[in-house]
Amino acid sequence: MEWTRKDLLSLYDLSAEEITFLLDTAEEFKKVSERKVKKVPALRGKTVVNFFVEPSTRTRVSFELAEQRLSADIVNMQAQVSSLRKGETLLDTVRNIEALQVDLVVMRHSTPGAQDFIARHLKCGVVNAGDGAHSHPTQALLDIFTIREKRGRIAGLNVTILGDILHSRVARSNMWGLLKLGANVTLAGPSTLVPREFESVGVKVCHNLKEAVRDADVVNLLRIQHERQASGFFPSTSEYARFFGINRETLKLMKPDALIMHPGPINRDVELTSEVADGPNSVILEQVTNGLAVRMAVLFLVAGCVKK
Amino acid sequence: MTLRKRLYSPEEISGAVERMAGAIREDCRNAGCDDYALVGLYQQGVPLAERLCDALERLTGRRPRMAKLDISLYRDDFGKRSALPLIRETVIPFDVNDTRIILVDDVLSTGRTIRAALDALTDYGRPGVIRLAVLVDRGNPEFPIRADFVGFDCNPPADHKVAVQFDADEPAENGIFEVEWKKFNE
Repeated sequence: MEWTRKDLLSLYDLSAEEITFLLDTAEEFKKVSERKVKKVPALRGKTVVNFFVEPSTRTRVSFELAEQRLSADIVNMQAQVSSLRKGETLLDTVRNIEALQVDLVVMRHSTPGAQDFIARHLKCGVVNAGDGAHSHPTQALLDIFTIREKRGRIAGLNVTILGDILHSRVARSNMWGLLKLGANVTLAGPSTLVPREFESVGVKVCHNLKEAVRDADVVNLLRIQHERQASGFFPSTSEYARFFGINRETLKLMKPDALIMHPGPINRDVELTSEVADGPNSVILEQVTNGLAVRMAVLFLVAGCVKK
Repeated sequence: MTLRKRLYSPEEISGAVERMAGAIREDCRNAGCDDYALVGLYQQGVPLAERLCDALERLTGRRPRMAKLDISLYRDDFGKRSALPLIRETVIPFDVNDTRIILVDDVLSTGRTIRAALDALTDYGRPGVIRLAVLVDRGNPEFPIRADFVGFDCNPPADHKVAVQFDADEPAENGIFEVEWKKFNE
């Protein structure tokens, strides 16, 4: 097959072949970052705007570095300093950006679907860097890339995503990507954060930690946001840690070679103990390394299909 | 309808590969270098480089080192095509610094692929000498790039393509072909 999309909005939109194509492309980009010259001229002369309406550090840094390694010119915009604060509509803001002959917009926004909306109105390419609780395709791609790199395949693997599923775009994106590639997906956590409704798309929903991790080849932990506690989804982070945190004892229940993943930033002693986070099962820092390769692949493919 | 005319047979290709290997060996010997490396460009430069390595091994008793290079990230027509193919795996199992390198591709046409390959290769280090070997020089350079070792020269019309096929399932499909692409709507 060949890549033909100018936007990356959601893994739900992609076929299994397209996801595999992205992962295969990322493998070659991973090698670029291992060379002495870590830069290629592929996006020379192209301009990328990183438009983060919702704050982000690690995703923005990863995208920025990926763009630099592709030789693109970069502009960073944040909501706090943009005209959105002066009352300009989102569409007017991005149309103004496009009028500057920009080739790609990488956008994060708190409203689900914001990127789909602007992509329909722009000729330049759009990459979704996270929209509300909806989608975060590059995070899911880097998670799936890491699993495939470690296990050699996705199909048939048991992947448990554990934590605040309800508010998580990472969980949703991973779920779609993994299902398309044939994994068995379990969503787990407190019943207030893991609604049964997810079962309708073909995943298992589980509210018991032991049961959720016992047969897992991969356990992907999601960050517990302290503000959720105030909304009454769970009584306290220490109680969450007691019932759903991964520690030495939980590891003993699991397959000895199970992978422990986390999109970061981790809360030590909430989602997992330091022993687990820094232990042999953890691939958390490899996820960060792979994120760069995956984002280079996405930017390269998408930019190659922008028609101007 | 597509016109497809065979210009050279597999036997003629084998003869040309032997001649090219002899010339490469001669050139390296004149330079006092017996430790050179071949770098095949995807797609068809890779099997050609393998054949040249086979021939050089027969000639000298020693197999040259070989690399495979994908130039997708160095092309000058990025964004001008409607679809992107998969990037193939670049494998350079030696240090290119100060190495005598023979770039290998099937067809030399505009020279743009070679320009990209030179940029790609120099991102891996500073080669000592780079030579260029091509099976066919079709003689329409757009860049000031010439080959050092050439199997065949040919001069088809500008809108015809020269295609090399090494390992087709049907032996009759192998050879060097002149192909006229007709657009579907014509």
